[in-house]
Amino acid sequence: MKKSARLLSLVLALALVVTALAGCAAESEEEPAAEEPAEAATVDTFTYAQGADPRGLDPALVDDGESSKVIVNIYEGLLKYNSESTEVEPSLAESWTISDDGLAYTFKLREGVKFHDGTDFNAEAVKFNIDRQLPPKVTEEMGYAGFVFGSVKDVVVDDEYTVTINLTAPNTAFLANLAMSMAAPIVSPAALEAGNNSVMETPVGTGPYKFVEWNKGENIVLVRNDDYWGEPAKTKNVIFRFIADNSARVLALNNGEVDMIDGIDATVVEQITSAGDELFEAEGMNINYMAYNTTTPLFKDQAARVAFSQAIDREELVTSLYQGYSDVADTILPTFVPGFDATVKQVEYDPEAAKAGLAAAGITKVHMITYTNPRPYNAATGVALATAIQGYLQKVGVECTIDTFDWTTYKEKVRAGDYDICFYGWIGDNGDPDNFMNLLSDPDPTMNVARWQDPTYQQMVKDALALPNGDERNAAYGEMEKYVAERAIWLPISHAKTLAAFRPQVSGFVYHVTGNVFLKDVVVAAE
Amino acid sequence: MSEWNQSSVNEVPSRGSESQKADETFAMGIALPDGQIPVYDHDETFHEKPENQWLEMWRSLRANRAALVSLVFVLALVVIAVIGPYITPYNPIETEMSNALKPPSAEHWFGTDQLGMDIFSRVIAGTRVSLTVGLLAVSIALTTGIVLGAIAGYAGGWVDTVIMRVMDMMLAIPSILLAITLMAALGKGIDKAVIAIGLVSIPEYARIVRGNILSIKENDYIAAAHVVGLSDARIIFRHVLPNALSVIIVRATLGISSAILDTAALGFLGLGVQPPQPEWGDMLGRARGFIFQAPHTLLYPGMAITATVLAFNLLGDGLRDALDPRARIK
Repeated sequence: MKKSARLLSLVLALALVVTALAGCAAESEEEPAAEEPAEAATVDTFTYAQGADPRGLDPALVDDGESSKVIVNIYEGLLKYNSESTEVEPSLAESWTISDDGLAYTFKLREGVKFHDGTDFNAEAVKFNIDRQLPPKVTEEMGYAGFVFGSVKDVVVDDEYTVTINLTAPNTAFLANLAMSMAAPIVSPAALEAGNNSVMETPVGTGPYKFVEWNKGENIVLVRNDDYWGEPAKTKNVIFRFIADNSARVLALNNGEVDMIDGIDATVVEQITSAGDELFEAEGMNINYMAYNTTTPLFKDQAARVAFSQAIDREELVTSLYQGYSDVADTILPTFVPGFDATVKQVEYDPEAAKAGLAAAGITKVHMITYTNPRPYNAATGVALATAIQGYLQKVGVECTIDTFDWTTYKEKVRAGDYDICFYGWIGDNGDPDNFMNLLSDPDPTMNVARWQDPTYQQMVKDALALPNGDERNAAYGEMEKYVAERAIWLPISHAKTLAAFRPQVSGFVYHVTGNVFLKDVVVAAE
Repeated sequence: MSEWNQSSVNEVPSRGSESQKADETFAMGIALPDGQIPVYDHDETFHEKPENQWLEMWRSLRANRAALVSLVFVLALVVIAVIGPYITPYNPIETEMSNALKPPSAEHWFGTDQLGMDIFSRVIAGTRVSLTVGLLAVSIALTTGIVLGAIAGYAGGWVDTVIMRVMDMMLAIPSILLAITLMAALGKGIDKAVIAIGLVSIPEYARIVRGNILSIKENDYIAAAHVVGLSDARIIFRHVLPNALSVIIVRATLGISSAILDTAALGFLGLGVQPPQPEWGDMLGRARGFIFQAPHTLLYPGMAITATVLAFNLLGDGLRDALDPRARIK
């Protein structure tokens, strides 16, 4: 018996050693192959590593961030966002006018722009791109067609470089939609026809970079478009590499195999900075919030919701939970979104008032549901957030029970509505304030998780959507923020920052608040 | 029939590292009856073992330093589990956000976690959860396993086939995977974890008990019991099972360690306790993101799991040696 035990340990030890050796062997085999692009790099190649392959490179047929990052460097839309905010600026359209009734948008297009396949960009191309995403041509795979072009009635070609888009109802957010990286970018009609209405693997746009090849699971190679209508890109080659494992991606950056990575969180920051690489931090277009179920007897009254919110020290919570990589949210809207109003204040932390208020409302037990995984707006996971809030409530004598679910199940539970409090978040699509503020007026309880139905608020949302961009519209969103904050429907918690890391040799990239990275002006200095 | 049974006695439970232990206890179980002399009284009462048998076992156990230390450790754990909640320096579920992720210090011996909860208090409080789950899960597995194994082994025939093939099917699936699947079906919570872990370890006990019974029931004294007309239940529980007892005790001791490990695994995957209840695996799971930043958040719950599992394993090994007359340390 003793002998056999010894034999077993020997075998196990051998197995371990062999595995370890195999691991080493695999690594050393991999290294030269992996370094190849970096070696060719010096100054004319920039390598960006992300966690996964894009789903595809046809802007009308994808809905993921991995695709989006590549797409924005190949294609352009009629409009683009300001590099610092989500205000719209001219891109393929030089200027635009909106009819008085807010229904007709006329765009004057840039002349002399050519697609990568040599065909001309003109009004017909715009019509072709929008028409393919309108009924009857629109298909189910076009995830963003409804969101971006849902309010479009038709597209009229006025002349070669003028196009008018008619809407069915006034929708000021439509302009912001046209700057999005999904659905809105203009694809070469010739390429679409050749590709049977799909350019998933054969993208042809007007952007600063042209598509070269896509090695699935490995990389996508782009090369500078020398015939670009504007200033050509500064770096000749751009390679997007796909490294699924977070720590492997960090290692690749620290080894100098890649120049920039995304998809990182606070836990690897030290690893990156201690290797001499730099961290990029930007505000993110998101909101991480706690919602009261306004249909439960517990929280149907404003006083109860306010008292509960008073128990929570959001400042302390956000600082220690997110370790500086999220900002305390005083508003639902991120600061850079038009309509942001700095005078909006949420319920103040006041444990004494909370204690009294909760006692008066007779609240002693609260049922919370939350999610177990990290989300882009909540890197610490819903469980950590809920447990922290449970801790604050325990201090004022309220017992919270927390039911935790994986994300998919969680969404079902939210739909079912059996909760007093739930945790959720929103990632902005188009940078228009309506995209955030209409959540609270949505009849769908999976969007409006507070299940709050307030006719006054719903009317405010509807009115603001029709107002033209400008001070009046922005003020309207400020009013809506105050209306919601006063009633404590949500407790906005934080806006998560976007984190990326890059080598010190890299400069000139634009990491936009929409999460896209524009590489036109990126430069990699020689070491 | 007996021939078929005989051949199935030689089946070796094959399941990773545990198969080795199971194998050994199994082999020993067959050997055990040879090492003792069954004595029958005229009034049919059966003396399990001569009195000094227990004494000798204790001597053997005492001679095994590792097992003895483990025994002391396990007893200490039991004490902590009972009085733990009264001796923690802090309330283990009290958060203090401003004091999050603090390294070990005089105030917080094991440091604090992501939410500023005192890790020392949580490790202490977590002992009760781990031990309770371990004991309860093993009790479930043990009682069900013994009954099923005894029935299968004693009855033989199609009853045996049906029971053991079901057990084989359960053994074919990795136990932790089966436990996760059960949790998915039952829902979350520590009570569900007890049931899941208990259910998945039934086959191990059933197999061991059946194997032992197959060999024991061939003994003359069982034949004698039949001849004097004892009922089957009485023969199983009074005459057969006591002879398999030592094997079962050893297996159960080792079973507690694997149940604690399984609890931790489920907790790590977020399927165990509901927050903020302290549980070692859950603490590990939630702290894993901080492995570089605040390693103490993983270190202490990890050490608690390791030490406890090791103690039960060493104790189990010591018990096995002590209970096996041939391996006994003199």
